[in-house]
Amino acid sequence: MSAGTGGWELPISEGELSRLTRDLDEAHREYLPLMHAAATDLGEELRDTRSAQPGPASRRRFLLGAGGVAAALTLAACSSSGTKNAVGVGASSSTSPSGSSGSVYTGDLQVVALATALENQAVGAYTATLAAAKAGKLGTVPPAVGTFATTAMAQHADHAKAWNAVLTGAGKPAITGVPLSNQSATLKALGAATTVGDVAKLALELENQAAQTYLFAAYNVSSAGGIATAASIAPVEAMHAAILNFVLGQYPVPDDFLPVDKAASPTLLTV
Amino acid sequence: MGEEHLDTRLLAELTEQSQDLNSDALRITRDALTDFGQQEPARRWWQRGGTVAALAGGAALWGATRATAASSDDIQALQTAASLENLAVSVYTTAAGLPFIKDGNKTVSAFIAKTTTQHQAHAQAFNAAATQAGGKAQMDPDPKYAAIVKQMLPSIKTPADVVNLALTLEDTAAQTYTAYVSKVTDVQLRKLFGSVAPVEAQHRSILLAVQALLAGNMADLIAIPTDPAKLPAAAGSVGFPDAFYPTKNASPISEGAVQ
Repeated sequence: MSAGTGGWELPISEGELSRLTRDLDEAHREYLPLMHAAATDLGEELRDTRSAQPGPASRRRFLLGAGGVAAALTLAACSSSGTKNAVGVGASSSTSPSGSSGSVYTGDLQVVALATALENQAVGAYTATLAAAKAGKLGTVPPAVGTFATTAMAQHADHAKAWNAVLTGAGKPAITGVPLSNQSATLKALGAATTVGDVAKLALELENQAAQTYLFAAYNVSSAGGIATAASIAPVEAMHAAILNFVLGQYPVPDDFLPVDKAASPTLLTV
Repeated sequence: MGEEHLDTRLLAELTEQSQDLNSDALRITRDALTDFGQQEPARRWWQRGGTVAALAGGAALWGATRATAASSDDIQALQTAASLENLAVSVYTTAAGLPFIKDGNKTVSAFIAKTTTQHQAHAQAFNAAATQAGGKAQMDPDPKYAAIVKQMLPSIKTPADVVNLALTLEDTAAQTYTAYVSKVTDVQLRKLFGSVAPVEAQHRSILLAVQALLAGNMADLIAIPTDPAKLPAAAGSVGFPDAFYPTKNASPISEGAVQ
């Protein structure tokens, strides 16, 4: 410990001070870009708040705050494999609405929440399909259909995991259920399915909806991480749809350009 | 060691200056954000006249009403994309004339015909965007992959060879456009690339399934409608190998730019 002059005493050694200074400088350099991103997002949030209109105002930029930006930037790195575990999504699981008048997910994070819920819905649909197949409720299930459902389900779980990372990174709770207003109808349709064709048609609707929602999102966000993630998921959902079309006896690549007429609205969210 | 060299008075002064600097920075940032929030908000995409419907349009992605905001890099990206499409059209057109395609599996030949028209539509869209942004249309094939195709063509003897070559082109296009969604500065171009990448990915998906069926001597199942009950289990997953579409093999934006 060095004694200072002029009545001020440094309680640590110079070596320790140098190390702490270096650590502080590194932390500072790490934080500055995040602070800049957070400030940019905050500015836009303020602008959006002033100009908010009823209706589709929630279809805005994805990410609010440094946490969301940082999480999105790491999505590709943490979720690149094809068969990772799900995020605790059960076939009939459902996140209860918050119960209050305001949503837990506001502004752009509402779109992230929508994406997560759609992925969970797909995971739940495939889980229910596999359970129904195992129980013999769908008749004879071709091996390829079983493999399709299992693999697609794992990829949707990966997608949900990536989006939940954005939510939790922004300080919001992860979505592990299906807080969508159309979930009961989806479950009802699944329950009424008696053939592989029935569930394949339903799955095709979900896949088309997901792909188109991501396309819509990709050109309506300004966060680099959000754009890249949405852009990298849309083709995968479209590929699921292509195989489903093939299995259903329909042309597998029906559109020259992916449309957005089936994109989901954030108003489906119940949280 | 070195403790004797530390000028604690200077350190105290520097620390105080650092605290002042930090306080000033925080105050300036806070003031700027407050001022920014009080400014007249810029009109967002959904507030611009009639743009919701326009943005929601499908293939008419680059309409005459759009404002040109593309950068020179954007134009290069469009030209490279057009060059990839030109090459794909050329390869599929050549493949369609090969005896084992023309007289072979009807579903494969129909797929090639339809896919050719889709790539033509993509090339037209990319070139239209490039010219409207002030650039030149790219009518030539991508030079890098054209060289690869030229090298491979003599060895193409079977439908499986055609499928393998087409897979390379489709995957390159899908990866390139997926990457370009994040690279272009114009939001309409983001939409354009974002709407084409999934289509190329779908081409690849079907080609992967066809490749697997050909390898398994199950060409009779390459049909629409097929017989799902006879499809091997692997056919259900071979068409989408990645949970997130990769971009590591995306072409640089300058690769097919007009020189």
